[in-house]
Amino acid sequence: MPQPMIQVKDLTKVYRVPERAPGLKASIRSLFKPQTIDVPAVTGISFTIAPGEMVGLIGPNGAGKTTTLKILSGLLTPTRGSATVAGFTPWERKPDYLRRISMVMGNRSAMNWDIPPLDSFRVLAEIYRVDPQTYRDTLDELIALLEMEALLKKPVRNLSLGERMKCELVGGLLYRPDVLFLDEPTLGLDVAMQRRLRQFLHKYNQDHTVTVILTSHYMADVTALCQRVMLIHHGQLIYDGALHALAEKLAPFKLVRLQFSAPVRDFEGFVAKFDTVEILPQENGHPTLRVPRALIAPVTAQILENLPVADLAVEDPPIEAVIDRIYEEGTV
Amino acid sequence: MRSLDRFNHRGGWALIRNTWQSWLQHRGFFFLLAFGWMLPMLVYLFIWSAAAGDGAVAGLTRGNLAGYYLALILVNQMTYSTTNWTVGDNIRYGGISAWLLQPISPLYHALSQEIAGKVVFMLFSIPVTGLLALIVRPELSLTAGQALLFLPALLLAWALRFFWGYWLALLAFWAARADSLLALQDSLIFLLGGHLAPLALLPTWMQPLARILPFRYMSAFPVEILTGLLSGREIWLGFAIQAGWTLLAVLLTRLIWTRGVRHYEAIGG
Repeated sequence: MPQPMIQVKDLTKVYRVPERAPGLKASIRSLFKPQTIDVPAVTGISFTIAPGEMVGLIGPNGAGKTTTLKILSGLLTPTRGSATVAGFTPWERKPDYLRRISMVMGNRSAMNWDIPPLDSFRVLAEIYRVDPQTYRDTLDELIALLEMEALLKKPVRNLSLGERMKCELVGGLLYRPDVLFLDEPTLGLDVAMQRRLRQFLHKYNQDHTVTVILTSHYMADVTALCQRVMLIHHGQLIYDGALHALAEKLAPFKLVRLQFSAPVRDFEGFVAKFDTVEILPQENGHPTLRVPRALIAPVTAQILENLPVADLAVEDPPIEAVIDRIYEEGTV
Repeated sequence: MRSLDRFNHRGGWALIRNTWQSWLQHRGFFFLLAFGWMLPMLVYLFIWSAAAGDGAVAGLTRGNLAGYYLALILVNQMTYSTTNWTVGDNIRYGGISAWLLQPISPLYHALSQEIAGKVVFMLFSIPVTGLLALIVRPELSLTAGQALLFLPALLLAWALRFFWGYWLALLAFWAARADSLLALQDSLIFLLGGHLAPLALLPTWMQPLARILPFRYMSAFPVEILTGLLSGREIWLGFAIQAGWTLLAVLLTRLIWTRGVRHYEAIGG
């Protein structure tokens, strides 16, 4: 096995957050005796990532995804535990380390908004000491891949959200980092732009064996790009492995979509006969049932026999629904 | 690969050019800002000129006062640090994360804004001050020695005002509205730094205070050298005090920066 690019052991981060009751009296009291509470953001996380791997870090809001990325990029010091990325301890923020990583955040801009991106790229090339030839080659490649020739001379302020994200990516990759941390790169983008960025990331990762950790709320990003996912919930790593295995493990049930040819009286009552079958919220007026895999045959047989069925479809649940269920229940 | 260190002058120079271009996009705003800074000085010039009449106040004639205040307008704009106001915002809104992630000392970002800003302000202030000189007719007997001493005094005044404001601004790591301290600094410069009145016109009890505190050395001191208000002994004593305060400001900046970043790493940006 090759030397891992990222090695994380027992990583823990506890924030100390000021807390006070509402109201004037409490606010005056807190002036003299500030109260704080400890909020664990990440608890005892361990994993390793090989060079060139592309891993999706998923979890609900506040699960600890961004905290993990901030620790790995060097912006936060952990409360406990260790991490090694490309042979460095991230939070020492040695210039040689910063030169090898890139953190691109969908909700924060590293570009100067008043000037065209090309000027910002030039400054970044100087800051990262990219030699002129490599700079030209890299820029040409990235611009061609992202099809953004036309954007280069407009001030960033006048670009759309998607165009700006392209610029962030160019800025983040200009010095050919070995490790790329992507925090919600497709946040707020339309579907077509999301797909374009996904294609770009996929191609770039293949061409340059860059190691990527990606967080996203759009499961489509993760399913398209990452074979391996890590699922964080309440600061704990509750799953680390192949995406398809997660779906199978987590979805011991299937969805049965129904369309009736005539109105059905007391459908709920009918379904209630099966203990473990649930009615999901309706879409387009057609009921959907969640049925354990083992019960699919008897349940569909009963339905077909007793109800006026026009159409019946048995499907695997969408990955979003699977994830949603874990988020609610908190375990895999 | 060559090892990188944080003191990367190529990167710093590129930042300066970039900031300058970006600021020139808003030159109208900066010209108005520069004009706003001039106005109070002009008001006090007119008041003290009226007080002097055809004679003098505390030994200063109308022409002396005109020379003093025109020089002060330029020195004030060359030493005023707009950057310090934005550093706090950067810390509060997390923009500083982007600086910390680059392999270059974040001080370069602040310095590039400083240098770029000075160039933009001077594009406006030098011609306007020239025009004003035609109207208020300053009397200035400039010797080569004064001019020569003026330059280091100006440079130190800038460094002192910049670093003093910078360490105050860095308190934003702990207190969200640390920039109120910058407003206090401005008020003290206005009062004790020779803006409201040349030091010689301040009440007697206030004068020693003005001479020992740092605020005079951020603005009036180079002007007093240029306009010949100081004896040789006063100049050297002034330089010693100015250098002492500057050194303290630099040390405080370093200390608070290191502690502040550690705090930032602990609580998260």
